[in-house]
Amino acid sequence: MKTALSGRRVGAAFPAVLVLVGFALLFGSCGGGKSADAKKRLFIYNWTYYTPDSVIEKFEKEYDVEVVYDSFPSNEEMFAKLKAGGSDYDIVFPSGDYVSIMVKEGMLAPIDRTKLKNFGNVDPAVLARCDFDPGNVYSVPYYMGAAGVAVNKAKVPTFEKSWSIFGRKDLAGKMTMLDDMREVMGDALAYKGKSVNATGDADLALAREVIEREWVPNLLKFDAEAFAKGFAAGEFWVVQGYAESIYAEIDPAKRGDVEFFIPKEGGPMYIDSMVVLKGSKRQDLAHAFIDFIHRPEMYAEFVDAFGFPATCNVPARALKKGPEWYPAAALEPCELKGDLGPALEKYNAIWQEIRVGK
Amino acid sequence: MSAKRNYGSLYAAPQGLWLLLFFAAPLVIIVAYSFMEKGLYGGVEPRLSLDAYRALANPSLLLVAFRTLLVSLVATVLTLIVALPCGYSIARSGNQSLRLFLVIVPFWTNFLVRIYAWIAILGNEGFLNDALRALGVVADPVQFLYNQWAVVLVLVYMYLPYAILPLFSTIDKFDFTLLEAARDLGATKLEALRLVLLPNIKGGLVTAILFTFIPIFGAYAVPLLVGGKDSYMLGNIIADQVTKTRNWPLAAAISMTVTVLTGLAALVFLFRSRKPAPQSVEEPAAPLGVAGTSAVPSGGAR
Repeated sequence: MKTALSGRRVGAAFPAVLVLVGFALLFGSCGGGKSADAKKRLFIYNWTYYTPDSVIEKFEKEYDVEVVYDSFPSNEEMFAKLKAGGSDYDIVFPSGDYVSIMVKEGMLAPIDRTKLKNFGNVDPAVLARCDFDPGNVYSVPYYMGAAGVAVNKAKVPTFEKSWSIFGRKDLAGKMTMLDDMREVMGDALAYKGKSVNATGDADLALAREVIEREWVPNLLKFDAEAFAKGFAAGEFWVVQGYAESIYAEIDPAKRGDVEFFIPKEGGPMYIDSMVVLKGSKRQDLAHAFIDFIHRPEMYAEFVDAFGFPATCNVPARALKKGPEWYPAAALEPCELKGDLGPALEKYNAIWQEIRVGK
Repeated sequence: MSAKRNYGSLYAAPQGLWLLLFFAAPLVIIVAYSFMEKGLYGGVEPRLSLDAYRALANPSLLLVAFRTLLVSLVATVLTLIVALPCGYSIARSGNQSLRLFLVIVPFWTNFLVRIYAWIAILGNEGFLNDALRALGVVADPVQFLYNQWAVVLVLVYMYLPYAILPLFSTIDKFDFTLLEAARDLGATKLEALRLVLLPNIKGGLVTAILFTFIPIFGAYAVPLLVGGKDSYMLGNIIADQVTKTRNWPLAAAISMTVTVLTGLAALVFLFRSRKPAPQSVEEPAAPLGVAGTSAVPSGGAR
């Protein structure tokens, strides 16, 4: 065969290809430039936009340092990158199950409480739930929250604050749930009164039946990427997702039309924590940052930026001004997602069949 | 001739090095991973295991493979149907450079942005539905997005340039007086295109098919963003095995299987399409039994 582009008369196509390659190179090589000044730097590896710029800027000013904020979209990706090595991060923000995994793998440095003046601000009730790191030897809670359900009240005026909303046939084709195995399986387990960390075959079969029979027929799709955009555009009327994602997309004038709730049956919850990596060369600065976050006014500024309740920091509750998407009390029936260990395989197998469909 | 040193291999070295570093080495890693045990928390354990290949026999995996094949076939055929007249009109037009330039222009916009643009067009509150409602064609919005057809449409849009460019470049080389000759000999316009043009641009067609089918087969972002709950494709399964379910060996094994199968298919495809020499008029007309190859060299058959 003659490949079409290798022919003799490539004259006209060739410049086009060149333009293409040129642009690829141009945009591919952008970024990654490093400033040459010798300012001290702190490397943070955190969820995508999870600490407001304003808080980071204040820290930078006060400590005369530069904070480098890299982000990850999932615990799995964060873990894989750290395991691959070569990164030089000081502070990471894993969820609870990954804190325990990272402790087991010997990746973390113990927290030096003497360097944390503000540790006393952390809610003891939250600390008591940190069974992924008993005694908080390696981690300091950053935020405790849960995914919930956002409803467009203009389209859906009456509803029950329950997972049963996804079983409503009149809303079929207008609803999405997260493309996240632990979340959706956990929701179904909680809906049936089981633990979100259940590993028994009967419990998992029950959860699967709820998802496949009651929920999936009414879902437009499983979406963890664009649900908030679609919700803000009026495309989806009921979405399961994170309050902060929805908060970021909704036009402030239309906030009155949105209700966000944590279903009364509870569901999987997370505590994202701050941990210091064993290899960190800036342990003092890392501790200073963690302490800075738990200053009441800083914590208030953080939660206000996202419409969060101040779940982890007690004095911040009096200082915060903004509205909350859900009250901290709504988290009470929720349960922390634990590391399932080898039982994860069972979840994988069920979830794959749910996702593939028929 | 004096003993002039041949620097050819030296000049070619960067390309070889590039391929070794960014193609061969990663491929070796994927092969190696596919034969290892999975790590409990992602990654692999350095122990030999065939578990990943055994897991391939899973019926839901086969269902996804079949669905992916179907979507890829439909999308490739539709791409060709659109690309052929485009390539033809560019080749016959007076301002080829401008038209080719226009084919390339969409590449200036990021791939993901273009997918979101389609979401803005096709959404229930999107431009298309707004227009349809304004014209009174429909009362309630039509659900264009989040199904298999949305996936096919956006895939066709994305890979169209990869089909137009090779088709244009072969059609451009085609001697159009042959079409006139065919008409003189009694062929209708359509017959002339089908029996004279098509066999002569087979090289371009093959390239266009390979350049569209193979990347579409590995599509990931398009089904993720515009697909519905039934649009899970192989690319998504592979990504999920790495980023969610912590089964790297399985991801590697699926990738390897897909690579080997598409590689073999491409080789067979290329090999078969090389055999007949469509230009030679002396060659006897092939028996019409070999359907499906469109390789019937029927220059003088009529």
